[in-house]
Amino acid sequence: MWGALLRRWGRGGGRRGLSGGGPPSAAPWSQVVSEAEKIVGYPTSFMSLRCLLSDELSNIAMQVRKLVGTKHPLLDTARGFVYDSRNNLQMRGLVVLLISKAAGPSTAELSFQHNMVSGIYSSQRSLAEITELIHTAFLVHRGIVNIGELKSCDGPLKDMQFGNKMAVLSGDFLLANACTSLAQLQNTKVVELISSAIGDLVQGIYYENSRSSENCLTDDIGISTWKKQVFLSHSALLAKSCQAAMELAKHSAEMQDMAFRYGKHMSMSHKLHSDLQPFVKESSSDAMAFSLNCAPAVLHQEFLGRDAWIKQIREAQGKGNLMDYKKLQEAIKAGKGVTSAIDLCRCHGNRALAALESFPPSEARAALANIVHAVTRFS
Amino acid sequence: MASGENRAYVLQLARRFTGSSRPFLCEKGLSVTQGAFESCTSVSARASTARWKRTDRFAGCSCKRRKFSAPEQKSMCHFPQRSSVWPFPKLCSIPWRFYHTSTALMCSCSKTVSDEKYQDPFQLGRKDLKNLYEDIKKELLVSTAELREMCEYYFDGKGKAFRPMIVVLMARACNIHHSNSREVQASQRSVAIIAEMIHTASLVHDDVIDDANSRRGKMTVNQIWGERKAVLAGDFILSAASLALARIGNTTIISVLTQVIEDLVRGEFLQLGSKENENERFAHYLEKTFKKTASLIANSCKAVSILGCPDPKVHEIAYQYGKNVGIAFQLIDDVLDFTSCADHLGKPAAADLKLGLATGPVLFACRQKEPRGRLECMHVFVSSSFGHLQGHASQERQEREEYQLLGSAA
Repeated sequence: MWGALLRRWGRGGGRRGLSGGGPPSAAPWSQVVSEAEKIVGYPTSFMSLRCLLSDELSNIAMQVRKLVGTKHPLLDTARGFVYDSRNNLQMRGLVVLLISKAAGPSTAELSFQHNMVSGIYSSQRSLAEITELIHTAFLVHRGIVNIGELKSCDGPLKDMQFGNKMAVLSGDFLLANACTSLAQLQNTKVVELISSAIGDLVQGIYYENSRSSENCLTDDIGISTWKKQVFLSHSALLAKSCQAAMELAKHSAEMQDMAFRYGKHMSMSHKLHSDLQPFVKESSSDAMAFSLNCAPAVLHQEFLGRDAWIKQIREAQGKGNLMDYKKLQEAIKAGKGVTSAIDLCRCHGNRALAALESFPPSEARAALANIVHAVTRFS
Repeated sequence: MASGENRAYVLQLARRFTGSSRPFLCEKGLSVTQGAFESCTSVSARASTARWKRTDRFAGCSCKRRKFSAPEQKSMCHFPQRSSVWPFPKLCSIPWRFYHTSTALMCSCSKTVSDEKYQDPFQLGRKDLKNLYEDIKKELLVSTAELREMCEYYFDGKGKAFRPMIVVLMARACNIHHSNSREVQASQRSVAIIAEMIHTASLVHDDVIDDANSRRGKMTVNQIWGERKAVLAGDFILSAASLALARIGNTTIISVLTQVIEDLVRGEFLQLGSKENENERFAHYLEKTFKKTASLIANSCKAVSILGCPDPKVHEIAYQYGKNVGIAFQLIDDVLDFTSCADHLGKPAAADLKLGLATGPVLFACRQKEPRGRLECMHVFVSSSFGHLQGHASQERQEREEYQLLGSAA
């Protein structure tokens, strides 16, 4: 059972938003986001709706209904898009739009004539959509099951095969749309950047998958390896999109680099923030399940040493292989894992803010800074 | 072929159908493949700029089920040497080579031989394609060993490299036509590599979608590593192809080849649906065939012609050539799915029918005069492409009904 649970975590739970966990504490977060949306003058929750209205996807939606009652993860992903309004934020797209606005109009050539709405070029808006399309495509592709590992409790084989088919097709459809829109930007450097981002994302998800294999409880990785892998799965797309947005407006290489750094460090902070949620929330009820490869656990292992950590896991497992998350949580909290994770989160937040300094002061820049504050707040 | 042998073979095939509706294969069905073959050639002959001439007589299949004694000959398609529409002064003949040199097809279209000297296209393109697979592997360099292994799985040098071959030959033709240059540009070679990579990425995903377990004579990626990793591998190959495409540095080429990716997916969707109206069905099938198979070849030919020659008329010709070769290729592939056996194909035979897919031969069979044969065909379509959600009990009932039907068709 807990194997299935780990698998779920490895998939990122099929949720929207920057990572598999929940968003930062509700009130200030939604405020930050709605203000940001006003600034970019565009209802981001309608992004990529154009392709959603296509025949193919309505075909898919009809077919996915057949999955109701089965245990295929595509159903969760689809549900997440429709019902999960709290998480249904197109974060990446929003950040790309904000940073485009914050960078201002192109200073490069006077002949740079593209239409600009609310301070953002249409090509940059298109790029924000593309980023969301890619992110969504991989959320869908994460929700595929291995046919060979299915047990009878997972339901009929044909349902799972059908669900896989739908997941592959819809993910491919979204990716194909992203590629077509990329080609329309008529900028080969941007295509190069985003293609390499997709490659990074694939590698990152690959690591996620490997980590949630049944045989090993937790990887023997240090925090630096963790950071590299999380960069691939959670940061690369946003960082390179921010850089690409600068390239579209022909901003300087320094500005592109700063945009990249903002995207990278902000998303790292976000991931750390969501990993820390089970450990910083005050709740008397049963502890939330968490991945044994989350940041606090990885840091905890580094401090304690692998053998002691494995021992603690076994103690928490108790009899019958049921993980007592509360006990394990206490063990981690007792060590230095949580505090150093918080420090790491704030460190990345500061780096993101430092990168923002090179942008001229504006509403958009303030909104980007607010986002960083929201993901580094732990009270 | 004796009618008793026909029926026995048909029954064997019928037993392999799990979950798809009643097979259309009545006794006449097998002879329809012959008609289908002839019709396929006439469809491919609709190219406005080239006329196909064919010779075909296929060798006997070594599969024990069927024995023929026709001598072995390769079939050939040649471009006429002097045609008012065809501007290429000297075009190497492109023999039409099927997957395997021998098939169990009992077709005997009358032959025409062109006075072009036959040259093996794979030999012609060999120099350019010598390091094709090594170059592809260079694009797929990634630190994770298993991911790299998965991605390189189909680039082991055992594939036919059919698409790259067409691409480089078209590149040469365009270069010679425009500037009498006998070299292939680096960017044109990249297009060949990209075409092969896009094709392979789509194969990997198709195998997950169809839950296939063998291809090219070995296990599929999803069979060995599981579906989740297989999908990731397909995505990675696609992203590497996209990266290589960007590096060519030509936005027109990027647009042309990105169209392929979109067409591949749309073709897959077209395959999901089916049309009730008989007249629409064939058009639907051809459109699906174009999107899934021909678009890649057509657009890669167009891309290299753009790189080699500035004349838009040449681009259009290259596109039409690629499109028609692609459609013909797929039509024959669909026929082979019925007539060949798994050893020759490298993948399980009768796969299309098993998936409930109505391909060329089936569509032609539906045009039969006998109402019963047509009824069978209707059944195939109406039960939809997802007809696999049927229970075991109904499968047994079906088989019983099939026996009865075939018994009465004697």
